[in-house]
Amino acid sequence: MPDWKALVRARLGAIPLDPARAADIVDELAQHVAQHCADLKSAGRDDDEAMREALRALGDPARLAADLAKADRPRSTTPAPPESSSSAFGGLMRDAAYAVRLLRRAPGFAATALLTLALGIGANTAIFSVLNAVLLRPLPYADPDRLVLLGERGPTGFPNNVGYTTFLDWRDRTRGFEELTLIRSWNPTLIVNGQAERVSGMRVAANFFRTLGVQPAIGRDFTPMDDTPAGSQVVILSDGEWRRTFAADPGIVGRPITMNGLPFTIIGVMPPTFEPLISERFYTRADMWAPVGYATSLAYACRSCQHLKAIGRLKPGTTIEAARADADAVQASLRREHPTDYAPSTMTLIQLEEALTGEIRPVLGVLMGAVGFVLLIACANVASLLLARIARRERDLALRAALGASRARIVRQLMVESGLLAIAGGLLGLIVSFVTVPLLVHLAPSTMSRLAGARTDGRALAFSMGLSLATAFLFGLLPAIKASRTNLQTSLHGDGRKSGQEATSIARRLLVGADIAMAVVLLIGAGLMIKSVGRLIDVNPGFDPEHVLSMQISLVGPAYAKNDAVLAKIDAIVTRLRALPGATGVAAAGQIPLGGNGDTWGFHFQGRPVSPDDPSVERYAVTPDYFAVMRIPLVRGRLLAITDSAATENVMLIGEHTARTLWPNADPLGQHVKIGGDTGPWRTIVGIVGDVRHQDLATTPTMQMYLPQSQNTDSFLTLVIRTHGDPSQLVNDARRAIAAEAPDVPVFQIAPLTELVERSIGPRRFVMVLLELFGGLALLMTAVGVYGVISYTVAARTREIGIRTALGARPADIVRLVIGGGFTIVCSGLVAGLALAFAASRFLESSLYSVSSTDPATFAGVAIVLMTVALAAQAIPIVRAMRIDPTVALRQE
Amino acid sequence: MSTDRELRKGSAETLILALLEERDRHGYEIAKLIGQRSGGAITFHVASLYPTLYRLERRNLIQGRWVEQAGMRRRRFYRLTAAGRKGLHAQRRSWSAFFAALNRVAGIGHA
Repeated sequence: MPDWKALVRARLGAIPLDPARAADIVDELAQHVAQHCADLKSAGRDDDEAMREALRALGDPARLAADLAKADRPRSTTPAPPESSSSAFGGLMRDAAYAVRLLRRAPGFAATALLTLALGIGANTAIFSVLNAVLLRPLPYADPDRLVLLGERGPTGFPNNVGYTTFLDWRDRTRGFEELTLIRSWNPTLIVNGQAERVSGMRVAANFFRTLGVQPAIGRDFTPMDDTPAGSQVVILSDGEWRRTFAADPGIVGRPITMNGLPFTIIGVMPPTFEPLISERFYTRADMWAPVGYATSLAYACRSCQHLKAIGRLKPGTTIEAARADADAVQASLRREHPTDYAPSTMTLIQLEEALTGEIRPVLGVLMGAVGFVLLIACANVASLLLARIARRERDLALRAALGASRARIVRQLMVESGLLAIAGGLLGLIVSFVTVPLLVHLAPSTMSRLAGARTDGRALAFSMGLSLATAFLFGLLPAIKASRTNLQTSLHGDGRKSGQEATSIARRLLVGADIAMAVVLLIGAGLMIKSVGRLIDVNPGFDPEHVLSMQISLVGPAYAKNDAVLAKIDAIVTRLRALPGATGVAAAGQIPLGGNGDTWGFHFQGRPVSPDDPSVERYAVTPDYFAVMRIPLVRGRLLAITDSAATENVMLIGEHTARTLWPNADPLGQHVKIGGDTGPWRTIVGIVGDVRHQDLATTPTMQMYLPQSQNTDSFLTLVIRTHGDPSQLVNDARRAIAAEAPDVPVFQIAPLTELVERSIGPRRFVMVLLELFGGLALLMTAVGVYGVISYTVAARTREIGIRTALGARPADIVRLVIGGGFTIVCSGLVAGLALAFAASRFLESSLYSVSSTDPATFAGVAIVLMTVALAAQAIPIVRAMRIDPTVALRQE
Repeated sequence: MSTDRELRKGSAETLILALLEERDRHGYEIAKLIGQRSGGAITFHVASLYPTLYRLERRNLIQGRWVEQAGMRRRRFYRLTAAGRKGLHAQRRSWSAFFAALNRVAGIGHA
């Protein structure tokens, strides 16, 4: 018996396959030939003839070897792993190269898809960068999740401030904390080189930095010895202050400075990485820290002197709940021991992180949701484009399938194309993000503290790439699966094309419907915000902010220990400012509306005992011209006068709301009241003035009262200067005038009042601008989507339209034919979108002002806008359809 | 690619799948059965049979495995997979449609 294997191998030569597989094939063929030969012999052929004929069946051996290899190759070159990674990777690279070639051949498609994806992914990456900076980046302190803010539960659920003596009892009696520390605001006047500078700072307990787990970079931390009335004149500087004011002096430690007229010693400098987030959230960004330095003997250290904030570090393993229960027990015992000092209430502990970011959380949530919608719209659009493209490539795909490409292979090829688009779109999106994040930071209101640190970093990069790939799946999978279902024979022969296209076009219609629905949601969000901000801008703040410059001054230190000295200095400054060209009126006030500070005093009536239940009223101590400068109207009685002095009858004005609330049935004029406890003088109400919005424009006026500075003197004051023209042009003159009059008085927070008003609208405006932007983007993408589907329909039905025209259809019939389909998609999308918006808009509620989250006018307006845009997007294809020349159309195909 | 070759290729695959539907077979048996059952009208040689088998196998329509029986050499048997069964049904349908069309147009009937 011949060695068939050797014979077959000799004829075939080398099969370009892995040797083991080639041997297998040779083995199989050899058996075939052997059996064939045997059969021929048993049929009566002689040995030689049978052998020749059996071997002849191999045909052209070289071609057979090639055919076998070609048929077998994609399986693998090594049999052990079914598909080795290198060949899979090679396949991917081949697919990618092919995809690049295809995309380059369709530049219009590629550009549209890439731009859409870049905007969608870019917007998401940008907002994610902000979210990351503000919410996800952990606080830059050791074990930040163990840091909590604690206090008696206030009306909004936030911990109240605490008095010093109470704090000491908490520190001694609670068991849940590793450290318990204390802060309060501090804004000293620092004199450097004869210039007065007002510094933002904080007074803290000695263990403040230790509680946060940070240390000074230069010098030393505070010790308990520093935190006493005698030892507290030491300060630690921020890195910025050290560089700005002290030229980064390496020998800074031990250097004496004068603040508020008192000697202080610099003992340390914080590292540049230290972020003073706590001061930023509760006061102003601190550049200097000094010990609180209290003793229980001090009047302002009393149990109910609640002006301090308590921050604790939980012991490892202690839960917030356990620490709260323990603090509650301590507070209950304090209440039993000192019943007059405490109101019945419970303790609350909230994570410091939440305390610092709580306000911005819902805002960023809304924005992230909005950009998510933008991306979904982008995905739907690109999927729709891909579907149209695949419909055009159906023949090509069928041919590939006929040539032996498996279904998985075709899906892979299409997914590689989608992935390539998404990655390129993602890279472009990163560029979009790089450009937009600084803009966002610039646009964001200053109250969003950590936003300044937002940048497109590695995490954002990972996010955007992950998003791109997820996106590729979202928009690529549907078209790929559809394409792989393409039936070979029908596609090649052409009779199945119609049904395939029908399915494709239904899918595209659904996608466009989804586009419209999501655009509706975004636009309604934007519409509600626009309406809110519009209503806020229209709100009358109760004063006229136009042409008024405001600036703060502080008169502190031994030179201003007496009220007379302060009043004389205020008078001199006001007189100088009034003389400035362009100034028409000048006044000073303890605080101004929207200025971010407030001073609420107890309000006690004559003839009734002073009670803790007496109302609280916002106090403004002002110079007499204040009402003229601010244009706050007098309602009844008289305004304050220069003649109201420390020597004359104590007088006050009240706001209308105060009058209505406290004297609903009587005349407040001539009534006598005391403010701030039992000890002060009786004051006579001499006038009623209009209310102002103090907190922000969205908050209705609180109860307000006005006292003459001469009878109630402040050392921190805001100057308001009414001007003829642009108030900001007066800034330098005003500064010089004050410096000439009082070189020891720092001037800070200089801003036109309009800016304060704007700042109060800031966070809402921020959300509004972004939602407008995203809404606009969504509208544009939707228009493109609708245009794409309708023009594709027109193109696909050219022949049909031609025939109809030839048979006498009028233009109106053609329009109806084309619009009919479009109209259904638009309407269904619209209805779905309205329903979705109805459910989703409540997330915006906290950002809305005086607009219901289901405002019918906004819903209707958006529906009309979208309908119009969707119809307009169909105009071009419709015109094209009407121009179809039947003779040309019928000649096609 | 000529229509003739397309047709042949399509039909070859269908024939192989149909034979494997009955039971597992090895290559030589398949070739022999096609010759016998077509009364010699269709013949499959090594040159056309094995590339087709490998292609079908690669597309997961059939699965080949070496089977050793006592006292005999090991042989490669092919088995129809679930996907192959589905593919065969689809091809039967489209061939029927094709012949129906041929019949209507050219009066070529099928048995």
